[in-house]
Amino acid sequence: MRLVPSLVTGMLAALLLAGGARAGELVIGRAASVGAMDPGFLREPATVVDNVFDTLVMRDAAMKLVPGLATAWKAIDDTTWEFTLRPDVTFHNGEKFTADAVKFSLERVLDPAAKSPTISYIRTIAGVDVVDPLTVRVRTNGPDPLLPTRMSRYPAYIVPPGYVKQVGPEQFARKPVGTGPYVVGEFVPDDHVTMKANAAYWRGKPAIDTVIWRAIPDATARVTALMTGEVGLIEAVPVELGKTLDDNPETSLLRVKNGGLIIYLGLKSGEKPLDDARVRQALSLAIDRKTIVAEVLRNNASLTGTQVGVFDFGYKDEPVPAYDPAKAKALLAEAGYPNGLSIKMQVPRRYINSADVGQVIAQEFAAIGVKAELEVPDWPVYAQMVPAGKQAPIYMLAWGSTQTLDADAAIYPIFRSGEPYSTYSNPEMDKLLDESRRTIDPAARAAVLARAQDLAATQVPALTLYQEDTLYGKRKSVEFKGRADARIPVFDIRIGN
Amino acid sequence: MIRFLVQRLGLSVIVLLGVSAIVFFALFLNGDPAALMLPPTASRAEIDAYRHAMGFDDPVLLQYFRYLAHAVTGDLGTSLRFGLPVTGLIAERLPATALLAVTALTWSTALGLALGVAAAVTRGTAWDLLVRLVALSGQAIPVFWLGLLLLLLFALRWRMLPTGGYGEARHLVLPAVALGAYYMSAVTRLVRVSLIEALGQDYVRTARAKGLSSSRVVLRHALRNALVPVVTVQAMQFASLLGGALVTEIIFAWPGIGRLAVQAIQNRDFPLVQAVVLLSACVFVAINLLTDIAYAVLNPRVRL
Repeated sequence: MRLVPSLVTGMLAALLLAGGARAGELVIGRAASVGAMDPGFLREPATVVDNVFDTLVMRDAAMKLVPGLATAWKAIDDTTWEFTLRPDVTFHNGEKFTADAVKFSLERVLDPAAKSPTISYIRTIAGVDVVDPLTVRVRTNGPDPLLPTRMSRYPAYIVPPGYVKQVGPEQFARKPVGTGPYVVGEFVPDDHVTMKANAAYWRGKPAIDTVIWRAIPDATARVTALMTGEVGLIEAVPVELGKTLDDNPETSLLRVKNGGLIIYLGLKSGEKPLDDARVRQALSLAIDRKTIVAEVLRNNASLTGTQVGVFDFGYKDEPVPAYDPAKAKALLAEAGYPNGLSIKMQVPRRYINSADVGQVIAQEFAAIGVKAELEVPDWPVYAQMVPAGKQAPIYMLAWGSTQTLDADAAIYPIFRSGEPYSTYSNPEMDKLLDESRRTIDPAARAAVLARAQDLAATQVPALTLYQEDTLYGKRKSVEFKGRADARIPVFDIRIGN
Repeated sequence: MIRFLVQRLGLSVIVLLGVSAIVFFALFLNGDPAALMLPPTASRAEIDAYRHAMGFDDPVLLQYFRYLAHAVTGDLGTSLRFGLPVTGLIAERLPATALLAVTALTWSTALGLALGVAAAVTRGTAWDLLVRLVALSGQAIPVFWLGLLLLLLFALRWRMLPTGGYGEARHLVLPAVALGAYYMSAVTRLVRVSLIEALGQDYVRTARAKGLSSSRVVLRHALRNALVPVVTVQAMQFASLLGGALVTEIIFAWPGIGRLAVQAIQNRDFPLVQAVVLLSACVFVAINLLTDIAYAVLNPRVRL
């Protein structure tokens, strides 16, 4: 049998196990794997391709929009944005970056025949005009204040037209070429991606030579791999293993406050009894958010009074909803439910200790006479039920503006009537949300979005609970602070001693 | 014989049709497939356009027949996430899954056989008790727990083996041990029981009466007969393992069909989920059919 000698060599080799964060090399362990790397047609977070491609506009560590492949941009009129492009940028294959590449990159995603799953992120674009090789104009269907933001995230990464046409979309997704800090080497879909530093990168040569992105789906295995040094940085650390990483002399837990999604209980306000704002307000008053965050979530979340994140444009610091069971009872009685009511509630085991949170809330509802029948549905099934409107009248979901960092993505899809994930309908809210999409002036737009949040705070279209932190684990030698937009820009990471 | 074969083949086709119908209609059970396949920010109009483009607005039965027509030509659809034909994706994963399955079954059969024989011939002694205890624990310990325990000991504490990965022999050790433990125990118990039974048969007494050595009686005469059920059971185990060892592949980040299937479910990649289920069913049906035929050939008491 050949197995025995190979076993022995395997063990010997293991003794010389390579570290996950040696000088010049960083191995990153992620729960999710990479399936395909065409940035215009992603069905997964853009974490990995973000290191291969660039966008016209970028975000710095403080989440401010800064020049990327475009050195400047301005609105020429209500529906036209002009971008001045950075000269002397080349793709990894030597192809030159010009206005034609911008036009090509956006139009191939907008092409209905291409069936891009992410077309909705840039749906406001009516057309792209090349003015000269270093100037491009983007026309929108109506006023779109968010256009620069749209140009800072997927699917608006710039791809090389010549290469894409030459190899075709299928091959491009396997062997992508961009202008970014890293060049894709070996890519085994669903397993790992190896990248080498792009020495000719326009922002300078990256400090780390080699990056390996490994998929480690099991959380315990991921944490173990970090502790053994097989990987240097991991995503998605489960709360209960955070302390293990902090206690280990070689690793540390990185907690990014306001980095996660905002957890809320959606309310089907189109049907009884949740059509009455007083009932929704009563439910909100029944929840002791402070205790839940401290005890059930062990402070791995932040209290908030709005569905808009702290870093989002348009954020208004609404007070955290009060906890007042007596007032809640009174409101219920006023709404015609002096003896309480019974209602179904679904809470998936998807977010940090979410099933436990559901239990606690069900008990708090019981304290004001609302008998909540709690169900913990299987995530894949539940994820299908929600956009189809088949969920329970009270249902837990998480939402965020993610990479747009704008209030629009945080509240429009869940509060605007008729949207697939919205179970709320209020003409006043619709008016405000629609107005925010037409207002170009940033100050005026922020004011409209603030009014929408004020309205949500009084009308309670959903029970906003808290914003989760995101948890990373790293070797102590890896210098990474984490970002609110969940990106991992290896260009900004350093490996110390 | 021919009649039997035709009958069995017909039944197999019916089983596969049933499976295909279940996997196909399951897609429509919980809502709108088009809404699921697009990001949450998609508007109603975009969802409608996508539904039409994908043909989801046609009558469901028509869609099913279209699916079947493509399936018989080997086209099981395109993965939503990878953008590639699902059959190719599964074929890519098959070597990893097969390697793990063969390794786990090989060591578990070898060790299980040895332990089972040892326990049967020392029946009632402390040794027998020990083997039975090991076998019972092996079957009682869930694989996710054993897998994590192996990780903590061999990867974290002793730093002897990597936590996961694929490509080298050292990557194979822990998943193969975790996966094979259950089968080793099953084989041990099965061999022990059937060997004890065989040792009580008349032909064994005759062999002993002829003055044959004890080892010859056990290994040549009794064990050969005791092996028939073992072979059957291991063949079925192999069939189920080719569908992917879900838990083991996830814990050890093994890039096999099991992990592909779990991630396809999590990513709501329906064509891929359908194909994995359908192909697993095909393997099962095929191995079942072969086992039945082998039975008839090997055992003259089974009449066709």
